[in-house]
Amino acid sequence: MKYSNPLPAEGINTTPTHPLKEFLLLSGGLIGVIAIFIFVVGFFAEKFAHYIPFETEVSISQSVASTMSGQQGEVQVWLQQLADELASAQNLPEDMSITIHYVNSDTVNAMASLGGHVVMFRGLLEKLGSENAIAMVLAHEVAHVHHRHPIQTLGRGAVISLALAAIGVSSSDAGQILGTAGLLTELTFSRHQEQQSDFTALRSLYHHYGHVGGATDLFEMFLKEEGDAIPRMTFFSTHPLSENRIVRIKAYAVEQSWPLSGQLVAVPENIRERIRADAERAVPEKSKEAAETIDAGA
Amino acid sequence: MIDLIILLTLLLLGYGFGHYAEKKHYKDIIQREKALRNLPSVSSKVLPPITQMDNELVSGNVVISVDYFKRFLAGLRNIFGGRVTSYETLLDRARREAILRMKEQAHAMGAKLIFNVKMETSSIYKGRRNSVGSVEILAYGTALIPKQH
Repeated sequence: MKYSNPLPAEGINTTPTHPLKEFLLLSGGLIGVIAIFIFVVGFFAEKFAHYIPFETEVSISQSVASTMSGQQGEVQVWLQQLADELASAQNLPEDMSITIHYVNSDTVNAMASLGGHVVMFRGLLEKLGSENAIAMVLAHEVAHVHHRHPIQTLGRGAVISLALAAIGVSSSDAGQILGTAGLLTELTFSRHQEQQSDFTALRSLYHHYGHVGGATDLFEMFLKEEGDAIPRMTFFSTHPLSENRIVRIKAYAVEQSWPLSGQLVAVPENIRERIRADAERAVPEKSKEAAETIDAGA
Repeated sequence: MIDLIILLTLLLLGYGFGHYAEKKHYKDIIQREKALRNLPSVSSKVLPPITQMDNELVSGNVVISVDYFKRFLAGLRNIFGGRVTSYETLLDRARREAILRMKEQAHAMGAKLIFNVKMETSSIYKGRRNSVGSVEILAYGTALIPKQH
């Protein structure tokens, strides 16, 4: 018997593909898949917003929430209680929670932001005559949260980063993107979103009080005051106002056969007093400026 | 961003050094295989009909580490499936190096043939996350050495 060893032939046990070529192919493929994912998520941003867990929204909004300084106190507790009642009246999903921030400022506005944070300014509360009117504003902001409008409005970038955060990719980046954008407090919802929230708010008002009286008080008051020299009302810029809106709200209520008027609930006296006290305590910005000017002059 | 820079640097280092080491190793392997051609090593278990031979156990052992680039490439392969070509050359080199070391030992003993050659492969760092894996290959067989008169 004769034994011999031929020289092993090269390239039988190895594949002659260049590693760099394989690397480019594979990483290109991976990047392509991610790009397609982002494109699809971005394309259906509005629809996907509903599938982003509310927890993700809450965890991301935490950094922002700390900047919304709310005043702990009677008014905030009262508003929170009212908002919770309205939230259950509009069947807010259990995992969603509303956090009210009452801010002692002349600003005539209210807004809803990521993570269920709703900000109410004292300036707006002063203008509302009844609990029903306040409830309408609150229910409207709660409805924004309910319909996930803050996420939708932040745009595709935010939806994509939130979607990525939801599947565990770079959740810290997502927070950064939102935090630096500074958009959270200046969210402007679309006309369609405002209308959707109006209707949902009406529904919760009806379920809570049995009628929708006082729902349009705010808008009617604004329409009346429009000609007057009133301080700049932020509510106008963030909540586009028109006679159409009142007409549409009323038409919707009629369509659903909800009574347009009923017994209005008064704002509790201690709350009203507290708001008045806050107004006196807050130094009006104009007079503060004037005081500074006088100081400089002297 | 910093993570990305670190990743790219590691990939570049892995590719540069890994590629250089592999090229050098293959050149060395081919040259030594040619030099040791006259010492056959076979896996046959049947003793050739030559008597008057001494038997000795000979073995060759090698550990080769995978570089960062190869591991990354294999990781990408794990997503898409298919041949993990980046590990093929690693194992090929390790097997041939182990046989060569065994042959060198037998050659030093004056052996004419190594029979019943077997190989063992094991992975070092098995299952430990974020560690660059290494492969160990052991080749062993029975060297037939002509009796010294």
